[in-house]
Amino acid sequence: MPGRAATERIRKAIALVNEVADGAGDEELTPTEIAEAIRDCLELREIEQGSNVRKYLGEALDAVSDGMPADFVAMTLYAALGALGESRPEI
Amino acid sequence: MAPHRVQELVGGAKLVTAAMPERLSTSLVLMFGGGSRLEDERHAGVSHFIEHLLFKGTQKRPTSKEIADAIEGVGGFINASTDKELTAYWARVPAEHMELGLDVLLDIVSNSKLAPADVERERMVILEELRMYQDQPQDLVQNLFEEVMWPDHPLGRDIAGTEQSVARLTRDEILEYANAYYRLPNLVVGVAGAVDESAMLELVGSRLTLPREPDGQVVATPPAPLTSPRVRMRRRRTEQAHICLGVRALSYLHPDRFALDLLNTVLGEGMSSRLFLNIRERRGLAYDVHSFTQKHRDTGLLGVYLGVDPKNAVSAVGAVIAEMQNLCENELAEEELARAKEFTKGRLRLELESTNGVSFWLAYQQLLIGSIKTIDEEVALVDAITAADVQRVATEVLRAPIQMAVVGPFAKDSAFRLAVGA
Repeated sequence: MPGRAATERIRKAIALVNEVADGAGDEELTPTEIAEAIRDCLELREIEQGSNVRKYLGEALDAVSDGMPADFVAMTLYAALGALGESRPEI
Repeated sequence: MAPHRVQELVGGAKLVTAAMPERLSTSLVLMFGGGSRLEDERHAGVSHFIEHLLFKGTQKRPTSKEIADAIEGVGGFINASTDKELTAYWARVPAEHMELGLDVLLDIVSNSKLAPADVERERMVILEELRMYQDQPQDLVQNLFEEVMWPDHPLGRDIAGTEQSVARLTRDEILEYANAYYRLPNLVVGVAGAVDESAMLELVGSRLTLPREPDGQVVATPPAPLTSPRVRMRRRRTEQAHICLGVRALSYLHPDRFALDLLNTVLGEGMSSRLFLNIRERRGLAYDVHSFTQKHRDTGLLGVYLGVDPKNAVSAVGAVIAEMQNLCENELAEEELARAKEFTKGRLRLELESTNGVSFWLAYQQLLIGSIKTIDEEVALVDAITAADVQRVATEVLRAPIQMAVVGPFAKDSAFRLAVGA
């Protein structure tokens, strides 16, 4: 099970994205910085290959690359966070 | 509830009555088999169109105002609804005006003028109704959800049809369709309230003038099975995300339908349900979250609606799926099962408190199922369900491919697809 480090890194990425979404913060964040925060999450070995957490993080990274709105990136990161705590369905 | 009585009318129509002598009202319903699922694409919405038109005027009451005045003049209510498998016209009147209510209802279904000018005027009204649904995200997501649940099938279409079909329907097509379905073999008359049941057969029978012979009606085709999860999304600049997700479930003829109802109650009916407590109260992910069922002759669905902050949309979907999974994996505690049973039985009793509720309940069963269960029989069936039954039904139903519809400010649907494995 992914643990505290994963939760903290995803929360950090969410906080960055929310800053952009809310227009808060003194300096303007670049997509590169947000992408970096998401990659930090993906580097954690505790997030298993093929897990939904990793898939949502990948999706969030793609969304940043595609220039998707910050709200959309935030939603995907929240989903990753949620997936840390949820048992996934067998579909 | 008083015992009901089923009597044969001419032409194969049925009269179902329940005497409730202590009541001050009588409710009458004329229920016709048919509805939107029998319509082909070209005629989509014709049943609903006819339902609107039948309130526009008859030979005896030439305007809509005269129809409304007849019933409202005695303090009563009159209305109608079109569903996927039936169309119902109903009136609730003070008991002493029962004959008036019956006369007006039979008049509108038998003698409506369907005047060309009324057809054109009502066409505009229905087109506006369809556009209104497009502007209301809760309605839009429900329509999208039904499209994704029953793809390329009449069950997946809006009951009111499409803008194209409604714009195209001719008066002749409308008349032809009405003539095919508004026939006695296709009719159940339901009456509940302060009525003399033995006199009703003559009262109703003497007023029936609809054609007695069956017409060559279309037979409903079952929808194709769903083999994979799918997502349908409509981008709208809404403040909330509106989401419906669900699975194919059971028909109203299925022996496990009462167990499915208990499953639905536990999952998402009311403020003591799992979805409400876990997703709204505990995690604060949604404002409105509830589950629902739809049952048809050969199929059905179990769905969940969510109104959520867009940022929480996918997380909330994940949480719903986790609740569904939990119901498959773990048997209900006896206490939760008992509470769900009392909820279901209590709601049934409340529904049958009014004369309107009883007339609909009886006519619906007679028309669609062909027989009527009493409230005691239904209660006994609910009481007999075990936690193992609910888990078995959960496993059979909730592991089917999840279908989802989303309306909200989203640029793409990839995260939602991921959530349901699409």
